[in-house]
Amino acid sequence: MVSVINTVDTSHEDMIHDAQMDYYGTRLATCSSDRSVRIFDVRNGGQILIADLRGHEGPVWQVAWAHPMYGNILASCSYDRKVIIWKEENGTWEKTHEHSGHDSSVNSVCWAPHDYGLILACGSSDGAISLLTYTGEGQWEVKKINNAHSIGCNAVSWAPAVVPGSLIDQPSGQKPNYIKKFASGGCDNLIKLWKEEEDGQWKEEQKLEAHSDWVRDVAWAPSIGLPTSTIASCSQDGRVFIWTCDDASGNMWSPKLLHKFNDVVWHVSWSITANILAVSGGDNKVTLWKESVDGQWVCISDVNKGQGSVSAAVTESQQNEQ
Amino acid sequence: MEELDGDPAVTLIPGVNSKKKQMCFDWGPGEMLVCETSFNKKEKSKLVPNCPFIFIIRKDEDVYSQILRKLFNESHGIFVGLQRIEEELTGKSRKAQLVRVSKNYRSVIRACMEEMHQVAIAAKDPASGRQFSSQVSILSAMELIWNLCEILFIEVAPAGPLLLHLLDWVRLHVCEVDSLSADVLGSENPSKHESFWNLGRLDEARQMLSKEADTSPTSAGMCRTLGDLMRTMPILSPGNTQTLTELELKWQHWHEECERHLQDGTFTSSPHLETLCKIMLGDEAALLEQKELLNNWYHFLVTRLLYSHPTVKPMDLHLYAQSSLDLFLGGESSPEPLDNILMAAFEFDIHQVIKECSIALSNWWFVAHLTDLLDHCKLLQSHNLYFGSNMREFLLLEYASGLFAHHSLWQLGVDYFDYCPELGRVSLELHIERIPLNTEQKALKVLRICEQRQMTEQVRSICKILAMKAVRNNRLGSALSWSIRAKDAAFATLVSDRFLMDYCDRGCFSDLDLIDNLGPAMMLSDRLTFLGKYREFHRLYGEKRFVDAASLLLSLMTSQIAPRSFWMTLLTDALPLLEQKQVIFSAEQTYELMRCLEDLTAGRPVRGEPDAQRLQDDDIETTKVEMLRLALARNLARAIIREGSLEGS
Repeated sequence: MVSVINTVDTSHEDMIHDAQMDYYGTRLATCSSDRSVRIFDVRNGGQILIADLRGHEGPVWQVAWAHPMYGNILASCSYDRKVIIWKEENGTWEKTHEHSGHDSSVNSVCWAPHDYGLILACGSSDGAISLLTYTGEGQWEVKKINNAHSIGCNAVSWAPAVVPGSLIDQPSGQKPNYIKKFASGGCDNLIKLWKEEEDGQWKEEQKLEAHSDWVRDVAWAPSIGLPTSTIASCSQDGRVFIWTCDDASGNMWSPKLLHKFNDVVWHVSWSITANILAVSGGDNKVTLWKESVDGQWVCISDVNKGQGSVSAAVTESQQNEQ
Repeated sequence: MEELDGDPAVTLIPGVNSKKKQMCFDWGPGEMLVCETSFNKKEKSKLVPNCPFIFIIRKDEDVYSQILRKLFNESHGIFVGLQRIEEELTGKSRKAQLVRVSKNYRSVIRACMEEMHQVAIAAKDPASGRQFSSQVSILSAMELIWNLCEILFIEVAPAGPLLLHLLDWVRLHVCEVDSLSADVLGSENPSKHESFWNLGRLDEARQMLSKEADTSPTSAGMCRTLGDLMRTMPILSPGNTQTLTELELKWQHWHEECERHLQDGTFTSSPHLETLCKIMLGDEAALLEQKELLNNWYHFLVTRLLYSHPTVKPMDLHLYAQSSLDLFLGGESSPEPLDNILMAAFEFDIHQVIKECSIALSNWWFVAHLTDLLDHCKLLQSHNLYFGSNMREFLLLEYASGLFAHHSLWQLGVDYFDYCPELGRVSLELHIERIPLNTEQKALKVLRICEQRQMTEQVRSICKILAMKAVRNNRLGSALSWSIRAKDAAFATLVSDRFLMDYCDRGCFSDLDLIDNLGPAMMLSDRLTFLGKYREFHRLYGEKRFVDAASLLLSLMTSQIAPRSFWMTLLTDALPLLEQKQVIFSAEQTYELMRCLEDLTAGRPVRGEPDAQRLQDDDIETTKVEMLRLALARNLARAIIREGSLEGS
């Protein structure tokens, strides 16, 4: 049974564009067209405003929490072409870095798996993707991929860290050689997979073509130990595709159509154990999908915006048993 | 291609009435976030009021119920016990043990039900009272279903004992319903007396009859006859050695005798006694007339079976069940989910039972545990699923995931994941990292769980988080021990540096205990080794073991373990040793020290320091260097003399 357990009044003065729970589900970050980023403590069904962060000069599109081992760090990106990284020091939140390397709205930010260090990927309407790497003592190194997508890049999503070979107990403190990859979706209707080369440069590894209109979001599923990689993508064309790749070498990606919606699909997102995909569409609904026995994706729940009154929670039907 | 059985469930989120807005969504570790938004970025929000609310949604709300917690805790114990004894379950005793486990589960449900009932009665406001009462009904239904499953699937009662079990089953629930609803049926008329309907307690009914016989002499004869009939009704009792065939024969005879009395009109003058006789013959119409005394169709079913087919075979049950259901409902109402579930059980369709229960119940507790038990009875064919290689694992994973949403029940979830061979481990890895480490105690608990299962990545990650937190709060000792536990060399170096910096600032070490007892962990990083050895130097000095201290000090520099930046400090530490009355550093050692000093002074200026600082430091530095040179020279002289003299004699 799904039920609303808490309603957080953000008091944003304008449209909310993104809301993200931190790693532990104790804090909530929200961002809005009112140019602010707000952070709430939502433990035990409460809501305490911890911070109201100002710094952007335009609507803020997305926020992303870094892994807790780096402390309390939040990234935000905005129409004002900037990416700001905020950090909590001694109980107060402050701007710790500002990245202004883009010529147009920055649409998406995504932190890399913590194993790689503190790395942020940013996708922008100027078609470029920039990668900010924290090198210590307040310094961030920038790498830029120009013309990643023509017209613009709408989404970035990192692949889960794959442990190459045996990693256990490297006593000399040497960093293991991860193969860093991420996916991006753009206005060229394409999804591109990027890989970091040995020389530290990023190279386009794959192009995934199936959409007939702008790709709005991509989400790389968390790893559950199976030798398959999975990516979900959604587009202006109303379609959601699930891409899977079985190879260890990761070359053959095959798309499966999850569903064709009647409206633009804006957002796709995986639950933490990767067994449910949430799809937010233009039809005022969020639908939850699960893969069934025969590999078909089945809708298991519709989360719909109500028309004012009671929230009628109905039990979730379990479809993929037989 | 799999067909959906019905439309997916729709959950409505209360919000502002607006047709233009969309819903933005994200996953938290245990919940979902929803808020109203507009994805079309070009659109200005204009004057349309926006909804500033973010809704946090969760499945598995039941996890937070105080009373159900006991259910979760105790059933966890039973579950783990069952998994552990799996290997020992062999042969004839296997079935008996599995039945015992089943009964344990049921008694836990009953205990929970009882407690909730008490709370319902004591509830101050009617709304919560009603809520608790409905929870009680749900638990009662769960126990009802489980009990039936136990009889049919686990006990696998054959014809004969089957009816006895079913009698117990209904009896238990009728009593329960009566005691819980506090409705007492009281009446003079024996056919209206509840004990008659508490099936098989014909003795009590007979007592009523004999009372009636006493009070009304006209019907005395009839009462006695009827009483006799009741007394002689053959039923199988436990321990009875007669075979099924014998019982059937006897029963057939008895049935015919009752029939004869009815035909002969023995009871015509007393309508209610006649009704009783008809009932004893299993006459459906007669039974249905007493409908209001029968709580439900399965009560009707079992009564019918008792009086018409006591030796019913398990595989024929469903026929009687279906007709009982139809007759009882009489076309006035349609079956409820509970009815469907029971029907599926009578049809021995285990998968259907589980499926319907999954849909009808609000949490996974019931289906997860029941399915697991049935799996141990080897009753489930394994269906291949992506998530969980079979239904059992699928349900256990869902249940355990739900437990992780709770701040303390997550510990139970760990064990459930342990017993899911396919995806249990990876699910545990993903969930356990998300547990907020509010206290050191909790962190240690989580770490212990990870270490026990060799989840090294998780251990490393968690220790790193804690180590960094400690550094930010300036608790260096804590930071160091976490980084050692994480086997994180780079971080250990960082913390060691901080320790050394601390020492330079304050002239003493913090967390001496920790550094003194590093043991083999010292080898984790060069800097850490240096820290440990440096502390050892100070200890040796304190114990006045000057020669050892001196050797150690020198080796720290010559072996390159000491960072360059620290050499001045080390050389300064050497000063008191050089100034001692007795010669501590040998000539050779003195030469080494001198070489180190020259190395150091040749390597200046130190980069990164502002000029003003440098000038000042230069002064101090120069003085120090001069003092050192002087001391070294003097020591060298004394050492040479001493060694020369020794050699001589």
